[in-house]
Amino acid sequence: MEIPYVVTPRKDTGLFNSKIAIWLFLASEVMLFGGLFSGYVFLRIGADYPWPERTLPVLPGLLNTFILIASSVTVVFAWASLKLRKWVQFQIFMAITVICALVFMGFKSLEYYVKFHHQAARLVDYTMVEGHIDHEKEAGHGEGHDEHDASLVTDAKGEEIEMNVQRFQPETISFDLLRVYEPWVEDMLAEASAAGASITLADEINLNREGESDSAKQFAAGEALSLELLKKIAKAQTSNHAFNQSQRTEYLREAWDLKWDDVKSNHLLGEAAFVAAFPAGSELEPAERAKAFKRWKAGMRANFATDVTIESVKVSGGEAVPVLLDGKKFAEIERPEATAAVFKVAPGAEPLNLRFKNHDVLTDYRDGLTSISLRDGTTLAGKQGNSEMVYHYVDGIDFQYLVMQAEKKGIEPLVAIENSWIIKNNPEIAEIWEMHQQGVRLLADELSKDGREPTHKDRYRMGWQEIAYYTRLIDEGKGVEDVEIDPSAKTPPREKMVMTEQFMGPDYSRHHFPHLAIPRAEVAMDSKFTPKWNTYYAIYFTVTGLHGLHVIGGAIVLGYYLLFGRKMYLSNPEWLANRVEVGGLFWHFVDLVWIFAFPIFYLM
Amino acid sequence: MADSAEDIKKAFRLYILVGIVLFAGTLATVAVATVPWLDVGKHGFDTADLVLGLLIAATKASLVAAIFMHLNHEKPWVYWLIGMGAFFGIAMAALIFLAKFSPIHYDQFNDGGQGATTAVISD
Repeated sequence: MEIPYVVTPRKDTGLFNSKIAIWLFLASEVMLFGGLFSGYVFLRIGADYPWPERTLPVLPGLLNTFILIASSVTVVFAWASLKLRKWVQFQIFMAITVICALVFMGFKSLEYYVKFHHQAARLVDYTMVEGHIDHEKEAGHGEGHDEHDASLVTDAKGEEIEMNVQRFQPETISFDLLRVYEPWVEDMLAEASAAGASITLADEINLNREGESDSAKQFAAGEALSLELLKKIAKAQTSNHAFNQSQRTEYLREAWDLKWDDVKSNHLLGEAAFVAAFPAGSELEPAERAKAFKRWKAGMRANFATDVTIESVKVSGGEAVPVLLDGKKFAEIERPEATAAVFKVAPGAEPLNLRFKNHDVLTDYRDGLTSISLRDGTTLAGKQGNSEMVYHYVDGIDFQYLVMQAEKKGIEPLVAIENSWIIKNNPEIAEIWEMHQQGVRLLADELSKDGREPTHKDRYRMGWQEIAYYTRLIDEGKGVEDVEIDPSAKTPPREKMVMTEQFMGPDYSRHHFPHLAIPRAEVAMDSKFTPKWNTYYAIYFTVTGLHGLHVIGGAIVLGYYLLFGRKMYLSNPEWLANRVEVGGLFWHFVDLVWIFAFPIFYLM
Repeated sequence: MADSAEDIKKAFRLYILVGIVLFAGTLATVAVATVPWLDVGKHGFDTADLVLGLLIAATKASLVAAIFMHLNHEKPWVYWLIGMGAFFGIAMAALIFLAKFSPIHYDQFNDGGQGATTAVISD
């Protein structure tokens, strides 16, 4: 069957089918991206923290804009070539369009990669620290690492992991049998083995009924921790639990039947019982009274068997647990249960210092904790180990949020900063801050010639270019008096950024950045530069990510026409031209969204 | 619509011209945001920069829509469809703005943010 109006326009609309369809679709896309950009506006207006203005490197976004504009030109050239029946020319322009799409996604992927590997932390006093994390080399923990890959160390299994860890020296470990996450058990076993420690079952677990002696349900104290052991205990537990639950249902049914017989034989749901329970009912109108009686009866039916109670089941050598009806023993739940298995830790030559990723520990950190819980329900009791968050390179220090909080409390910003943890505890950073204040003074003098003044960001945020400049002066033996600014740049003093640094971030072999160990108790929240970090990154990744998906989708469609359009070109070239035109319209819309997204996220 | 071969050949020149203008507009957007002597209004990012940036973006978007997407010579049906999308998009944004006057709204819209209330300085 021929589909009508794929080439010939309809008389009423003057358009072929897919033209109307694509514009309808684009109208819905306007709603989609319009909603997201509106969301950006409100997140920015309503932000209760300093919005990260102009913190993204511009070059990747600029190149991506050029690439998309070029692809918009080539896609319309491709359509025009088809209209002129120039097949090879169409292929060339369409191939360039698809290549542009792939290059765009390549740059975007690079941008995302750099952000996902860049660490940020907000301290309790609202200082923001940015950089790359590692573990304190001097403390002797962790293995050696590659100087150029500062965020990785090797763990006890010889695998490279990124370090943002809490350490804990357990005396006992309690595993939730049903939720335990096996890779973490394997990690613990590897670290115990490396440290010469042993982890064994603290007490016997016997899930046999009285009189039973199934060895599959009995686990001796002192048995070594292993995944197989945990699985065996879990299997015995789930079998007992399933039996107990079905027993519980049966007993509840029996109890219900007994009570219902009692209710019927004593007329407990009759008129007399209603009047006794609800004397005011006699004053109601007959219709109201009937409704009240009906409601009372339904309530009584629902609640008459609530005095059946079952004690919590416990592990205790197979002791049966009573089911009580009206306070009297009615039946017994027979099989013991154990939802957790407790192990004790015998250290080797040194205490076992287990390592957990910060975000895997549920317990809010504070110094002196004697037990922690993990996300899989495992709890450890013992002593905290050294859990400092260590930055191998600090390439950003932002006091804007701290200043914002200080100003709300009527505290002078510079006083608040001088009293911040990072300035009081790190002399190198304190010296960098002194130099930055001199740089800001010089900038203020320069800007005052035009009647302007430095922004909050100029005053209170030191990005990597600023820090690299100050550390270079320090390394050259210079001081505050040697700080200079470029008067034409109208910025605080900075190192120049080379092109690769626009994409990959600072080159750590060229610049010197401070090393910083932050006690875990000082860290309020930490994250990579991901949607979790703040609402700016949340909306940035949402919009650019969704836009990227549109780029991929458009590239797939255009690539299909490029690779498989020859057959249609030979049979019905005008139809192919119309399809390419419609695909091109989608592509132009994708370009339109980026035309707004680039200045909004990168330049504002 | 540019249907005839002659019209399409002429359109090639127009597409190239628009492409060059878009490139130039992009450079202009970056320049007004990053070149110090082009910084309008106050130092740093302010309302003037916002308006200027969005004006340039809107101009570029209009060129893409009018020339590349052929909206300069489309049928009325297309204009109705776009108009519908634009109307509901603006209405959606307006509704969210109007929520500011609802009794249940975020304080941040009024006073620039309350934020967390924990102590600024720990000692």
